[in-house]
Amino acid sequence: MAGKRQRKALAERNLLIILVVMWVFLAIATKGNFSSFANITNLIRQSSINGVVAIGMTLIIITGGIDLSVGSIVGLSGMVYAIMTSTRGEFKLSSFWGILIALAIGALVGLVNAIAIHDGKVPAFIATLGMMTLVRGVVMYVSSGRMVTGVPTEYRQFAVQEFLGIPALAWTWIILAAFMMLVLKYTKFGRNLYAIGSNEEAARLSGINIRLNIYSFYIVAAIFSGIAGLMLGTRMAAGVPTGGQGYELDAIASVVIGGASLSGGVGTVLGTALGALIIQTIRNGGNLLGVDPFIMQIFIGAIIILAVFFDQFIKSRKKGEGLKKLFKRA
Amino acid sequence: MPEERAILEVEKVCKSFPAVKALDNVSFSVKGGEVRGLVGENGAGKSTLIKIITGAYTKDSGSMQFDGREVNKNSPLVSKALGIYAVYQDVMVTPDLTVAENFFLGHQPLIGPFINWGKMYRESEEFLDEIGLEIDVHKNIKELSIAESEMIAICKALWQKPKLVIFDEPTAVLTRSETKILFRIIEDLKRQGTAVVYISHNLEEVFEICDTVTVLKDGATVGTYPVQELENVDKLIPLMVGRSIEEMYHKKETKVGAELLRVENLSGKRFKDISFNVRAGEVVGMFGLMGAGRTEIARAVFGVDHLDEGKIIVNGEQSYIKKPKDALDKGIGYLPEDRRKQGIFLQQDIDFNVNVINFDKVMRAGVISYGKAHAQAQDYVDKLSIKIGSMYQPISQLSGGNQQKVIIARWLCKNPDVLIFDEPTVGIDVGTKSEIYRLFGDILSSGKGIIMISSYLPELMGVSDRIYVISNGRVAAEVQKEDFSEEHLLTLAMKNLVSKEKIKEAV
Repeated sequence: MAGKRQRKALAERNLLIILVVMWVFLAIATKGNFSSFANITNLIRQSSINGVVAIGMTLIIITGGIDLSVGSIVGLSGMVYAIMTSTRGEFKLSSFWGILIALAIGALVGLVNAIAIHDGKVPAFIATLGMMTLVRGVVMYVSSGRMVTGVPTEYRQFAVQEFLGIPALAWTWIILAAFMMLVLKYTKFGRNLYAIGSNEEAARLSGINIRLNIYSFYIVAAIFSGIAGLMLGTRMAAGVPTGGQGYELDAIASVVIGGASLSGGVGTVLGTALGALIIQTIRNGGNLLGVDPFIMQIFIGAIIILAVFFDQFIKSRKKGEGLKKLFKRA
Repeated sequence: MPEERAILEVEKVCKSFPAVKALDNVSFSVKGGEVRGLVGENGAGKSTLIKIITGAYTKDSGSMQFDGREVNKNSPLVSKALGIYAVYQDVMVTPDLTVAENFFLGHQPLIGPFINWGKMYRESEEFLDEIGLEIDVHKNIKELSIAESEMIAICKALWQKPKLVIFDEPTAVLTRSETKILFRIIEDLKRQGTAVVYISHNLEEVFEICDTVTVLKDGATVGTYPVQELENVDKLIPLMVGRSIEEMYHKKETKVGAELLRVENLSGKRFKDISFNVRAGEVVGMFGLMGAGRTEIARAVFGVDHLDEGKIIVNGEQSYIKKPKDALDKGIGYLPEDRRKQGIFLQQDIDFNVNVINFDKVMRAGVISYGKAHAQAQDYVDKLSIKIGSMYQPISQLSGGNQQKVIIARWLCKNPDVLIFDEPTVGIDVGTKSEIYRLFGDILSSGKGIIMISSYLPELMGVSDRIYVISNGRVAAEVQKEDFSEEHLLTLAMKNLVSKEKIKEAV
């Protein structure tokens, strides 16, 4: 019998195969344009901001929750940084303080989410839906709905920097993802996450402090969104009031394609990273092939549904029930 | 009187799962008006057989006939249409609908396009009256107690006027008086010529209600016996495991040592003025009726629930236990009552389920060493001889008994000074039970103490050195081993109850 270890790896291996097949197909279809080093590094760079948001989302979805406020936090942190550091603004702080304050405010939003969800017993969907609107309102208000420019030079240049030919934004994602993979596997923080996500009551009776852990998951997720906000800011070279709008949906899609279960307890950072790459590959490849962007949107939507559909199909085939019957009859 | 012709005939059925052969050439037949007990250890194949009969599983080979017709393509829908109805352990009712709606689900009486609520409530009420249950049909299921909703699930099965009813551990959550109502219902079914299959680990019940009993062992039928021929439980157990009841409860003598835990004047939400102690090398039993407050006391000592007042003294030191973590740090462990809801991490593998509270032992500078973690988990899985395919198998694939053993492995690995077992053998087969008792011996001989909570008196009297009887949230008495008797303990358990009738009913 396939142990769970193999099963999990199997899910990730399947995603990797899908990604490779897509890449090979696109390389051939675009006569090598897709597979050029420049395009592949570009693809990873394009995935990186969503990729970082999705790391945080992975944590939340493993707890069995959801966080719709991440996109607004992306916008908030980029805007807070710009306001704090802008040479045309009133604070004119250094980048260091700008980053610190931006991430701290992001973390605060995460904490409020967690308090509403854990202590206020507000369903995560509702609490973070409200927070999404609330935070976006704050961003619009403090910026009067306008871009905030005049950010420090080193901040603007970060987005175009490269190391070993790979963009700094891509490195940021790769390093954060690798770090979280290790944290989830090798620390109690990570193990507690899976325990709480599988069975909160059993976790409590195992001496795990549920409140503290739930707080930290939402705070960590918010900090990841905050980092993504700064990454977006370096690309825009400004604080953008609408920055990060809709990012929560891409992040959720990446996590779900990556094999996580919305009912909690299941999911990996590696799967999510592959999910983020798959979404971006469709966008990037479609672009190169000259596919209508509206058609691409239809395609991405279908992929999200199909990913979960096939996951369920494989599960039901093992149990001999559910979808299999649909196919039998058809 | 049972008819001559069998209504259900299952012949030479085989069913394999990736790791095990669950059923090997099993034949099983029941006549109308017959109450058939189905017994066997966990993993003997009872559930698999039932799932094949109800169509939840597909058989690999063999045949099944129902009511004289060959059933080729079985499925839950097909079996229901044939008149087979199973009442599973997991209550099958819709919690947000009323009792009446649950009965009429799928075929509500209509006036034109509208639901005829009046008729629905009236007929449901009449139906429950007939059975003798006093439950308000206007209430939502979720407002009922677990036992009441279980009774509703059973009644729902009867509502369909089935030809075969399968009860799978129906009395696990029922009180004695509700069990009596259930038995009366079964008698009624029998008179109407309905066949009944009754699965229970409580063999006394099987003797009380069944005409015949089929024993399954390791996926094969040992035999089918009329209950009168077997005479009593002691003759049935050897057929299931090849072990007598005396051997099962056999306990090594251990030296009683220093006091490990002392609780003084504990008061909380559902208990008052509780004092008891546990010494090294002894099993302290806690007996009481359902709702007497035993679990609440254990949860308070373990720091799950709030404590109003009282002292907890661990190893001679007064301890302030505010959360489970504090209790764990002080060396107190708690094996919860409801394995599925409070014990296992369903989506995770066996390794995770053992290690979840034991990662501390294999960490250096905050980093888990998986080599060591796997080794310690494997060690305890081997010690408890848990039957598994691989350590990385999801715990959901194990039988209930083996899941319980994994949780015990978790706690043995943690090695607390005092371990509280809350109903550890509910829904567990005789073989695993006796292994759990054997483990008690190992724990005691290493100088630890055990608190055992159980509603099953023969078991509790067998393993305990002393028993505290809890009645209505208070300690009614502390009873020493030489004074153990079922009558005495039961009487004490009812001491603080007002109604004398209840005592009569239960004894």
